[in-house]
Amino acid sequence: MLENLYNFKTELNQRGIFFCFSGPISQELLVEIGDTLKNKMRLEDTSSSTVLNVFAMFVEQVQNIIHYSAEKIPLNEPEKAELSSGIVVVGYENEHYYVLCGNMIECKTVDRLREKLTALQNMSKDELKRYYKEQRKKKVPEEDSRGAGLGFIELARKAVKPIEFDFKSVDAGYSFFSLKTII
Amino acid sequence: MDSWTIEATKQTPKVCFNAENHILELKGESYPENIAEFSAPVFSWLEEYLEQLEDQAFTVNIELTYFNSSSSKMLLDLLDKLEEEVADNGKNITVNWIYSADNDTAEEYGEEFQEDLESLIFNLVQKDE
Repeated sequence: MLENLYNFKTELNQRGIFFCFSGPISQELLVEIGDTLKNKMRLEDTSSSTVLNVFAMFVEQVQNIIHYSAEKIPLNEPEKAELSSGIVVVGYENEHYYVLCGNMIECKTVDRLREKLTALQNMSKDELKRYYKEQRKKKVPEEDSRGAGLGFIELARKAVKPIEFDFKSVDAGYSFFSLKTII
Repeated sequence: MDSWTIEATKQTPKVCFNAENHILELKGESYPENIAEFSAPVFSWLEEYLEQLEDQAFTVNIELTYFNSSSSKMLLDLLDKLEEEVADNGKNITVNWIYSADNDTAEEYGEEFQEDLESLIFNLVQKDE
């Protein structure tokens, strides 16, 4: 790995990837990385609405990892029960920014998630807006949701192209879930 | 009711109440891991405040440059609560949704909140740069 690290970095650069992280991630890291990404994009004269949209995608996707990754390390501190792991990639290709995130999930959630995301892929912007408002009005979010249950809809609304996703079966119990949004 | 302030952090807005002019202000960014934890004390204060509020005008200024999806749910809960107080109890409440000209998303999200409100006065206010 020591000898190959430069090649790895070069490959990332060639693919337009300017940020890449793999490992345990926390809200605190999200805040600091998000700040750095905003600064970097501003220095490149990216319009402020694009900077905010990329940041918004980054926040929703990383908070998805924090809330739903099945790869968790238990912590001793009582207020924070566990630390979630995942992969976060931010890049620029074909004149658009993108955020690509991945984390382990339990196999049993794959079908439901695929169904949910496929439905979002096929909605127009108006349909997404209506669905977003409808879901937001619900007093109690869906049972498996740890936020307001709006994250994926928000991503689909902000993305300039339909969201892309993939599930890779890892073993009998777990799959790897990847999600890409283009801004 | 006394004035109070919760200072802003990178991930939570400044929230303050001025008892002299009855203005509640939310300003900054909102994307904490757990918004309920942050907003619970504000909501319980609001509950008490609205109960004792009579004909006095109450203004809520919201100036959020970015908020995540769970904060958006919290904002809807806040507006629903205020709307209910105006519709059912005849309270005199105004919300100003403040955004800067280069923040299309904040403007758009303000418009979306406005669409669903009937009784509450909800102004979209573009900030002078």
